Amino acid sequence: MRLEKCWFCSSTVYPGHGIQFVRNDAKIFRFCRSKCHKNFKMKRNPRKVKWTKAYRRLHSKDMTQDSTFEFERKRNRPERYDRNLAENTLKAIKKIDKIRVTREERHHKLRMKGKKAKEQKEAAIELEQSIHLVKAPSVLAEDQSLTLPKIKVKVQAQAEENHAMEE
Amino acid sequence: MATSLASKCSRVGRSLFGGLGNSLSGLLNTSHDMTASNFFSQQQRTFIQMRTVLKVVDNSGAKKVMCIQALKGKKGARLGDTIVASVKEAMPNGKVKKGKVVYGVVVRAAMQRGRVDGSEVKFDDNAVVLVDKQGQPIGTRVFGPVPHELRKKKHVKILTLAEHIA
Repeated sequence: MRLEKCWFCSSTVYPGHGIQFVRNDAKIFRFCRSKCHKNFKMKRNPRKVKWTKAYRRLHSKDMTQDSTFEFERKRNRPERYDRNLAENTLKAIKKIDKIRVTREERHHKLRMKGKKAKEQKEAAIELEQSIHLVKAPSVLAEDQSLTLPKIKVKVQAQAEENHAMEE
Repeated sequence: MATSLASKCSRVGRSLFGGLGNSLSGLLNTSHDMTASNFFSQQQRTFIQMRTVLKVVDNSGAKKVMCIQALKGKKGARLGDTIVASVKEAMPNGKVKKGKVVYGVVVRAAMQRGRVDGSEVKFDDNAVVLVDKQGQPIGTRVFGPVPHELRKKKHVKILTLAEHIA
């Protein structure tokens, strides 16, 4: 029994689930659930709908190319049944799945690198720019605890340059 | 410019976002109307009943037939069922003439039909292949995809003639 992929969200369509639409040129569109089918009927592009796999791949939010995906690929030649092969395959599934999960985690970690620093930086800017909505500027001038301390950088090189210009 | 538009889109509502994305350059109001029209243009598909006009997808000579009776089912015919039909449009020099009463097997139906495994299948249009009373096809060719359920209905001849089996 073949597990197909949903045309819209690329999730697996298990037997007995979903609906398939056959266009007059014999192209088959399989959908995992009515949500995907309805979105297709509304002529939405899966690449532009955020929750689909196509969108996530396009925006490199998920791991796209990896050797573990090769095992899941559709093969058109049916494999002749071999008991040992089937046993080995079943054993391998667990192992490959574990590898894939760790790789995906790594990919996610790499992508999220620097996210915290960025968020903090943005929060600091937000605080500086809109603290006046919460506290009046006159109060702020008295109480320094509500604002972030100003970082002072000494500008010495510029002063020297100025001297040179005068000469 | 593009970022500001995108932020506007998200404010309007997430459900509209995909539809808006198709014509991002267009104005917000117009694209909203378009999604609405797309949504409502989807017709509720029903059974093939009396006065349903079906396309004939074989070379029997008929082009369009009108259903006058479904041979099975109280509400009407579905995918794979046999109907009695009257020929409404025909080729000038075909086997079947206009106005004749013929039998036909529904090979494509826009209404979804359950499959044995519990999933469903539906097609683009309503199409029929003309057969005689014994169930042998009148034409010698069948165009377009046909469902494999015809085998269960003992229409193997149509399946062998078909281009694609879905």
